[in-house]
Amino acid sequence: MPGRRWITTIISLGHAAQTFLITINSKVQHYHLFPKSLGDVLTTYKVKELHLSQTQGLWKHEKWGYPPEDAPPGDELWVWFQPHSGVDQTWADLVNALSGLFCASLNFMDSKSTVQPRWSFRPAGLASEFYSANSRFVRYSTLPREVVCTENLTPWKKLLPCGSKIGLASLLNSVKIYDGFYHSLGVHVRSVCQDTQCLTPATELKQTLTVVYDPTTNKNGKQDWSFQSMFDRTLQSQCPLADTRKIYVDVTTQETLPKFSLSPVPDFVLNQKRSGEERKIAVYQIGNHLSPSSLNLKAMYEEKLTFSNSSLPPVYANRFVTGYGLERGGVTCMIYNTMSSNTTVIFMETVPWFLRVYFSSLRIENDGKEIKPYKINFIPAKDRANPYQMELVFRLFANSVTKITYSFERAFLKWTEYPPDANHGFYVSSAVVSTVLPVASQYTATSQSVSLLEESFSDSSSSFFLRLHTETLLVSLPTPDFSMPYNVICLACTVVAIAFGSLHNLTTRDFTASDPSKRKGLVAKLKSFFKKEKESPENKPDSKEEEIPSQKDKDNSKSEEKDSKKKDGNSET
Amino acid sequence: TSPEEFFKSGHTNNWAVLVDTSRFWFNYRHVANVLSIYRSCKRLGIPDSRIILMVADDMACNPRNPRPATVFNNANNQINVYGDDVEVDYRGYEVTVENFIRVLTGRLPPSTPRSKRLLSDEHSNVLVYMTGHGGDGFLKFQDAEEISNVELADAFEQMWQKRRYHEVFFMIDTCQAESMFQKFYSPNILAVASSKVGEDSLSHHVDPSIGVYVIDRYTYYALEFLETVTPGSKKTMGQFLEVCPKYQCISTVAKRTDLFRRDVNKVLLTDFFGSVRNVELLPDSIHLQNATLHTHSEDSSDVKSDKPLSYAQQFPMPV
Repeated sequence: MPGRRWITTIISLGHAAQTFLITINSKVQHYHLFPKSLGDVLTTYKVKELHLSQTQGLWKHEKWGYPPEDAPPGDELWVWFQPHSGVDQTWADLVNALSGLFCASLNFMDSKSTVQPRWSFRPAGLASEFYSANSRFVRYSTLPREVVCTENLTPWKKLLPCGSKIGLASLLNSVKIYDGFYHSLGVHVRSVCQDTQCLTPATELKQTLTVVYDPTTNKNGKQDWSFQSMFDRTLQSQCPLADTRKIYVDVTTQETLPKFSLSPVPDFVLNQKRSGEERKIAVYQIGNHLSPSSLNLKAMYEEKLTFSNSSLPPVYANRFVTGYGLERGGVTCMIYNTMSSNTTVIFMETVPWFLRVYFSSLRIENDGKEIKPYKINFIPAKDRANPYQMELVFRLFANSVTKITYSFERAFLKWTEYPPDANHGFYVSSAVVSTVLPVASQYTATSQSVSLLEESFSDSSSSFFLRLHTETLLVSLPTPDFSMPYNVICLACTVVAIAFGSLHNLTTRDFTASDPSKRKGLVAKLKSFFKKEKESPENKPDSKEEEIPSQKDKDNSKSEEKDSKKKDGNSET
Repeated sequence: TSPEEFFKSGHTNNWAVLVDTSRFWFNYRHVANVLSIYRSCKRLGIPDSRIILMVADDMACNPRNPRPATVFNNANNQINVYGDDVEVDYRGYEVTVENFIRVLTGRLPPSTPRSKRLLSDEHSNVLVYMTGHGGDGFLKFQDAEEISNVELADAFEQMWQKRRYHEVFFMIDTCQAESMFQKFYSPNILAVASSKVGEDSLSHHVDPSIGVYVIDRYTYYALEFLETVTPGSKKTMGQFLEVCPKYQCISTVAKRTDLFRRDVNKVLLTDFFGSVRNVELLPDSIHLQNATLHTHSEDSSDVKSDKPLSYAQQFPMPV
């Protein structure tokens, strides 16, 4: 069968996080269900795997556990290419094509923010070991500043086979979705096995949308939720092209506090067992609930919401900027391991070139003791060309906090390199923490070898790959005062006027001595000024004669010359 | 209908280039301006693939917006001009003078996607709308750079010489907007501006829940006029040029019709704002041959490998 499609929704509780997971599995170049616009881009630019996430908000791991697809704030794109030469040029062309497809400024993902991760972003689909160990074909870049709004949801919806008019996607009301704490759009393309023999690959496209609402905006203080309250719509149709159309609701805590009941009653309840963690998932087959009226899934709580300490996830991280002033600074990342066993972790950071990292200042500490990392991959930056790339592999000890610190120096940028809102600051992308968990505690991602969410409910493996993103950082650089040119022009012109004016006066005016006894007071001066004005048109020839006696004091020869000149002048006229 | 009637207007396709050049929350009204015109163009038939929308800052999903994913043109009437189906082609830092002129003249790098290109030809009617802060002879882009009226006139001349438009309708809503079209010298351009040189364009009203001005006067009354237009409407450009008299706009609406060959009172509004296709229904049916090519790709892409393929190891370190 060329193309199959599943739609699933999982709704978790407490913070009312829901994820729409829409997976399409199809053979290459069969555009029956796979969107042609995306397929053309993938074929033209020789893409083997593509992972794009567009997120606004920060996922709080301590409170909400792990999302099905972890994403950093802003846009993140990582791509594995088919082996070919000139991958840099292909990457530059690909980000331009994707920026048009997803209405995002992905074209800003140039060499200044692109890295080739060595251990952190291995292919998520089918790939030979030789291929995945070679980081020549992978590119990773993020845009932490990027905004996500309806113009990004629109092209995402247009990739769906049934569009946004029917099926679960018809619930997606942008006004409600963007009103939440966190929303994340994801597009993930990878190769998967077609069957158990796995001799031919198929292309899987997974589109995810994760939204976190605050359900207590309801006036009675209870965290009741329903489709109507969350989306302002009810589900009225289902997509006929889909094979599986289900809604999953996590009801693990339904009998314990907080108690709630679901309406309509679920079709059946599945037990999800994943080494160490058991969850109960209520399943709804959408087709059973659409008649007579539309489906408005409701959860009604018996009591008001009380906040309690939720259990912490096994591994989580926090990162922040330290230091003060505009010359130096530091970055500290705290990684918490709440498990009772040690675990190895890969920590990846991408720092822009203008925050000059001192590699010698890098320290990893656990409880005051320094930890030596197993492996370090540090590629220093090149000004205006490449960012700093750092990957560290080290051990996280059980029940402890590990602190990674390094310091940097802020660079001066050229005045043309500042963005139009220069005083906002510059963003540093999230650090990525990768590890493998022995227990699937609060883990909701699908396993690597399956496509359907339901298929990973009975996962018998004992290792679960986890990828976390930390916060992004906002750093101020020494910023010039851009209103300065106006002020400088005024000041400079004033200085020039004063200097030029004074010089001009010095060089062109004659100084005459005045008799101090003939000095007049202010009033007398004003009177004489007005008198002079009246007299001057009549007395012009006389004024010259008045000047001559005063010059006689200076130089007799000069005055004589002038007398003679005057006489000559008179004789001529 | 006779062929002369059919192609009376002379254009076969419509394009729109809508630019908002202002950044920051207090310039909310400029985003509302450009989205009002976007909404009208889409409603009257120009598809997203023919509209290049440049918005310099995000107002709808701005943390300060009390009603996320919405941009209203009116504190009371509540037309959500942002809508549910918007596609912004140039956003944020991409809205620069260079990108704007490259879009108009078509001199874009080869990797630019189609949705960011103005692929007009000599039969295209192009609507160009600009809004933001302007002065005598210039328009500010994002508080960092300016485009002068000479540059803009030269860009339109480049378009004319490259046969990139049939007719252009240039609309501008800024302070001293008339100065921006005074230097035009290319034929077939009809221009209207919200204020004369020496006058400021004023904004309409404040929305107390947002705290900033919501829309500018000229665009507000223009939108009010356009809301009454349907794709089949016979309203003329002459009527549109009379929108917002002085008592409503306070500034004087200036227009330039000397470069335009046709009489504005005989030009339909939908010649620029809509994409009205002339359709002739044929009474006879035409049989097409079934000529689907048998593609061989179905077999060739089925590259079977000898050994079973395996998933890549995601964590390449010893656990």
